[in-house]
Amino acid sequence: MKKYFAIIALIMVFLVILIPFASSNPDGLEKVATTFGVEEHAPFWNGLMFDYSVGAIGNPYISTLIAGVFGTLIVLLATFLLGTAITPKKTRAVSDAH
Amino acid sequence: MHIPDGLLVNDPALAAVMWIVAIPILAWSWKKAKTTYFHSTAALLAISSAFVFAAQMINFPIIFGTSGHLVGGTFLAVLLGPYAAILSMTIVLLMQALFFADGGILAFGANVFNMAIIGGLSFFLIKLLTRKSKSSGRFASSVFIVSWLSVVLGALACGLEISPAFAGGMMVTVPSMLFFHAIIGLGEGAITTVLISSVHRLQPAVIGSLTLLKGKEKP
Repeated sequence: MKKYFAIIALIMVFLVILIPFASSNPDGLEKVATTFGVEEHAPFWNGLMFDYSVGAIGNPYISTLIAGVFGTLIVLLATFLLGTAITPKKTRAVSDAH
Repeated sequence: MHIPDGLLVNDPALAAVMWIVAIPILAWSWKKAKTTYFHSTAALLAISSAFVFAAQMINFPIIFGTSGHLVGGTFLAVLLGPYAAILSMTIVLLMQALFFADGGILAFGANVFNMAIIGGLSFFLIKLLTRKSKSSGRFASSVFIVSWLSVVLGALACGLEISPAFAGGMMVTVPSMLFFHAIIGLGEGAITTVLISSVHRLQPAVIGSLTLLKGKEKP
């Protein structure tokens, strides 16, 4: 179990170090949309932290970092629940496989 | 490659079709995933998905002022098998759409298809390419090719789905999406191959348990 917490800590370190280096250029899809002048309609749902930033925090690095840490933890929790739902609690006999 | 609602809102029928395509595949994955594992993989599943979320935030620059990021579908597929990969990538996409408006709600079905389903199913292609081979070189090159292809196929599907919003239609969207993602896919291939090769070296049982590499799991 300790091993898993170490990996979670590593993912956080990964975010702390790499967020400042993340490219803010449009991604492939955004580039295609802007190049060909598509008028994108305003989204009707902006999420809680639109574009990975926390509105109340001025510093863009801290803002994105908080969004990233929050997102990582919420994905961790949701997929852990998924994992417990789809995998057996006790080790199943191998013969029962596939 | 996350389609925002703004690009699909003109075409609610298409958005609905992609939901209708995605839902039975998710139900099938759920059913199959429940019979895949012999012991709990909740921790591995959660950690690899959390990593994919974090990695998707880090865009790397390519050319013409454009960037891309890891999608991670093939990465999850190799670690978790196809069914759990489809489900966990769907959860990553769901959290991105709900909390960060990265990918739309209407467009969610399309995004699940392009990234979660194509990514998860790429498992079978790797299995096909590495079958009966014990070579880690062949395994690594299959991972590279298939992760590249998963991004390019996702971009092809995405180009078709967004084409009604463009005056030029699919003659414009498909080639331009393929062009950028053929390059982004090289990043996907490189990152996925390095990650999977490291896991394979450090924790061979994780990959061996899915019988991707026959006979390699025992040291």
